[in-house]
Amino acid sequence: MESNKNVMSRRKFVELFGAAASATALSSLMTGCGSTRASGSGTGSSASGTADTITFAQGSDPRGLDPAYVDDGESAKIMANIYETLLKYDKSSCDVKPGLAKSYEVSDDGLTYTLHLQEGVKFHDGTDFDADAVKKSIERQLEGNRNDDMPYASFVFGTASEGNGVSTVEAIDSTTVKITLVAASTPFLKNLAMSLASPIVSPTAVEKAGGNVNESPCGTGPYTFVSWTKSQNIVLKANDSYWDSDNAPKTPNIIFKFISENASRVTALNNGEADIIDGIDDSVVDTITSAGNSLYDEDGMNINYMAFNTQSDTFKTPEARKAFAKAVDVDEMVKSLYGDYAGVASSIMPLWMAPYDKDVTQTSFDKDAAKSELAALGITSVKCITYSNARPYNTKGGQALAEAVQGYLKDVGVDVSIDTYDWTTYKTKVQTEAYDICFYGWVGDNGDPDNFMNLLSDSNVSMNVARFDDADYKALIAQGVATPDGDARDDIYLQCEKMAADKQPWLLISHSKNLAGYSPKVKDFVIHPTGVVWLWGATKEA
Amino acid sequence: MAADSIAMQSPQDLGEDPQTDPSQTPPEVAPADEKADSLWRDFWYAFRGNKMAVVSLVLIGVLVVVAIVTALFPSVLPYDPYQQDLSASFQEPSLAHLCGTDQQGRDIFSRILVGTQVSLTVGLLAVSISLVVGVTLGAIAGYKGGVVDTIIMRCMDMMLAIPSILLAIAFMAALGKGIDKAVVAIGLVSIPEYARIVRSQILSVKENDYVAAARVIGDSDAAIIFRHVLPNVLPSIIVRATLGISGAILDCAALGFLGLGVQPPQAEWGDMLGRGRNFIFSAPYTMIFPGLAITITVLAFNLLGDGLRDAVDPKSRRR
Amino acid sequence: MAKYVVKRILQSILVLLGVSIIVFLIMRVFSSDPAPVVLGEHATTEAMEAWRESNGLNDPIIVQYFNFLGGALTGDLGTSYYTHTAVTQEIMSRFPATIELALVAIIIAAVLGVVLGVVSAVHKGSFVDGFSMILALVGVSMPIFWLGILLIILFAGVLHVLPSGGRIDPLLQPVGGTGFYLLDTLLSGDFEAFGNALQHIILPAVALSMYSMAIITRMTRSSMLDTLNEDYVRTARAKGLPEGRVTKHHALRNAMLPVTTVIGLQLGSLLGGAMLTETVFAWPGIGKYTVECILKSDFPVVQGVVLLIGVIFVIINLVVDIIYAYLDPRIKYSKEEG
Repeated sequence: MESNKNVMSRRKFVELFGAAASATALSSLMTGCGSTRASGSGTGSSASGTADTITFAQGSDPRGLDPAYVDDGESAKIMANIYETLLKYDKSSCDVKPGLAKSYEVSDDGLTYTLHLQEGVKFHDGTDFDADAVKKSIERQLEGNRNDDMPYASFVFGTASEGNGVSTVEAIDSTTVKITLVAASTPFLKNLAMSLASPIVSPTAVEKAGGNVNESPCGTGPYTFVSWTKSQNIVLKANDSYWDSDNAPKTPNIIFKFISENASRVTALNNGEADIIDGIDDSVVDTITSAGNSLYDEDGMNINYMAFNTQSDTFKTPEARKAFAKAVDVDEMVKSLYGDYAGVASSIMPLWMAPYDKDVTQTSFDKDAAKSELAALGITSVKCITYSNARPYNTKGGQALAEAVQGYLKDVGVDVSIDTYDWTTYKTKVQTEAYDICFYGWVGDNGDPDNFMNLLSDSNVSMNVARFDDADYKALIAQGVATPDGDARDDIYLQCEKMAADKQPWLLISHSKNLAGYSPKVKDFVIHPTGVVWLWGATKEA
Repeated sequence: MAADSIAMQSPQDLGEDPQTDPSQTPPEVAPADEKADSLWRDFWYAFRGNKMAVVSLVLIGVLVVVAIVTALFPSVLPYDPYQQDLSASFQEPSLAHLCGTDQQGRDIFSRILVGTQVSLTVGLLAVSISLVVGVTLGAIAGYKGGVVDTIIMRCMDMMLAIPSILLAIAFMAALGKGIDKAVVAIGLVSIPEYARIVRSQILSVKENDYVAAARVIGDSDAAIIFRHVLPNVLPSIIVRATLGISGAILDCAALGFLGLGVQPPQAEWGDMLGRGRNFIFSAPYTMIFPGLAITITVLAFNLLGDGLRDAVDPKSRRR
Repeated sequence: MAKYVVKRILQSILVLLGVSIIVFLIMRVFSSDPAPVVLGEHATTEAMEAWRESNGLNDPIIVQYFNFLGGALTGDLGTSYYTHTAVTQEIMSRFPATIELALVAIIIAAVLGVVLGVVSAVHKGSFVDGFSMILALVGVSMPIFWLGILLIILFAGVLHVLPSGGRIDPLLQPVGGTGFYLLDTLLSGDFEAFGNALQHIILPAVALSMYSMAIITRMTRSSMLDTLNEDYVRTARAKGLPEGRVTKHHALRNAMLPVTTVIGLQLGSLLGGAMLTETVFAWPGIGKYTVECILKSDFPVVQGVVLLIGVIFVIINLVVDIIYAYLDPRIKYSKEEG
């Protein structure tokens, strides 16, 4: 019973934290016949000249708030403020720093990681954070315990029976954890800082909730969960006993509001109903700035692409794929759809992330060649599926993109039929529909090249929508994971990029900037390259 | 919203059930075929006197011409409504582009003109479906009476128990997207209205002497229904069908707005409006003009329906 | 009278059964296989088959229907494919929002509609009459979602006087209580929250009420014109009663009879309009939720919502009919169809 649970927790919250304001006193007198506010404190401001509440508006509800059970950015953004990871990313990169683990050692063979934990840390429910909690948090996602609803478990912790990932987690003493891998993995440390799967969850809370804490998240982070009103908002409250004084929460309340339409989020910002909004596109930038609000734009860690179904009759050869690619003027399309807020993708990884990729060249626009080649191949109609929602790598949504491509192909005599689904349904459709082309994208989770490049070697179709299956490519990827960071590793991924450009399983489109609109009163919030938002340092002028 | 709502509120609707409001027994149930001619003449005179209705008839005529001409001779359009030019996206309304251009740089005015085809076709086809099926079912129910009547009319009640737009959306959710399915969905949901009108009118004419006489002569049931009963029911059916078209166009736009309508790049007003919704501040013209097109078209059919009703029902004409 | 009421109730039950059959047919028979939708990414053919088996989708269709009906009667409408939460609970947590919106909308529609209708009838041919008739025509002709967006642009985007969407400021949100925020905030004496909720409901309620208001205006006007021409009204006038008194005491009361029916029926159709209004205004009710569920093929939820609205619609019809029968002595119960 979701609503009951919420009511319970909100009631409890009101009892515990409810301000002694006279309005609340009055309302508590009336509780018998009526109700109380979700927050006892109201929208007032504290004495120090900063506001009590910061409201962040995003496009939709999270799928859930248990890091083991979700795979979407909307969930990650909220969870990043509730949970913490053993290692943390730096503010503006994916370099790892100590988090809940104050230090660590890696054995020479790269198989054993020993982590020394922070002491005196408690979960929001009062449970002690210790080695046992870490063990339980990871072990529930390992093969054997893991279930089908844990989308990131195999990605982060591997699958031991397939020769990768974590084999055991041991609690040496209350503050020391030893993790043993099946095979050496360069990205593993970065994985431990990811906002999905890796955050440490209170074992007591998991047990109490009967397996997952999707509706009752409980971590060690700077904010605690107060309430979730479906399709409307999630309210968080500062964790008064947060252990890390350097990162202590500065604003008492954080509200995540869910407003599905881009234009409505902009209205909400300009109307003062939200302080920060994300998921916006270039068409609203002027509206935001002319209303006196500010624009946040930083390079994102993402790729927006169109995938050919390499197993389809139409596009089983690289020649057919290249002929199609030549029909699309990617430069014009990116400029028109995204304005200044996305760059044409010349490689799968953004250049700032992997500078060696500048040597890669993609198929260039050549309308006449496309026309004659496609005609020679007998390609006259193409079935396309796409998504309707705006995505972090495609702020205009998959439909606008698909229709632009449809327009280019019409010019060279090819009819493209488009079926559009909402993102959730779409993720199923890419596995079940017999499409020729589809639109997809990726937001990097941990800043490691493997995180991008292994998509084309994944046996899971929902990751590898091109169904690209190339033995040489797979060998390169396996080699890359085991090679320590350095020139040799960079070279492997450069080869991957070149192979992807040559075989053309994807038509690369753009790297999008992370865009957000915010009120100039709000200071010091962080939008990490991985797309999550850190709100603990943020303040808002009253 | 939907056609069924219109059915429930229009004044003469309450007269649908003779038992509910006996004071409004429709006067056009004149008991003899030979009177039909003069009936129609009266009707035309009455209609011609209603300026708004005549204007709406002219407007609908223009829309029909636009739809047919743009379908047969697309070259008359100022621009190719499907030709994208990404370098010319979101141009404000100007002499070159009367209603501006959309995200793909297509001329909105041309797309609105072409959109007339979809809206009118959906309106006409959907109403034809509900008309044919509804009239048949209503005629059978009214004429046969008894168990047949009960079964048919209870089925109709069941369909009326779900708001039409919700039922249409549920149909489309099950059948999948597409304008053809929208036609079927919208057509199906308004069957009951027609069945009810036809049935109640038939109930009130079937005991008339001339029907009894026809039966004595040995006319078949079908012959009686078609020759004697339906002509008398026709005027009120036409009125309802006209209002039904406006309802169908609105429903069609609603489905398009929700993204359940046409296959791109086809132009449909509701779909255009739904897309424009993301640009209400940066490019409000992308949603204002399609909205106007829907409103004006629906308004025209509503006015025409009102005019027809007033012409058919002298009682309301008096007002 | 009692006999008529019993008969109407029995009929309504029959209609409800039929509604359940329609809903079942649409969602289970015509639509595509839900197994891939539910199981998603990793599903094998065997897993899907097992899922179908365990969810009773391999049973004969008749058995499936009775399972569905039995569940519906006991308040079990199945589980959402997407959130894995009971459908009943998903619906009930959003239902008060929709009812609140529909009630406010019907109040606006009824009050404005009756006032405009009466004034138009009494001053037939006047400026007010012309204005009301134009408003009524535009009201039934304008797509509700377009009107909603125009209202947002004007009041939230340009004037900044009303919020663009949502139900209430989250920090003022009442907890527990009835789920009707206007009522809850009022009962708890939290006037700041009440005002805030009121601000949020104005635009969506106005947009939603427009259509019904147009219908009610027209209905009131024509009903009023009818009664003003009735013999007893003329008599009253002939007796020398002042016109205001004639209107108020003789005409209005009688003219209201059919108007009441229409208002009742409008409440039902508002629930359909709510799907679009809620989508435009991000109003967290079942309308918006249903649209989302349709787009993601969450059939159990759609099924539950359609059934629920059908039930409400039938009940409203029943109540309206009974009230009407009670108020209007002209109805001959014996001749009731059927």
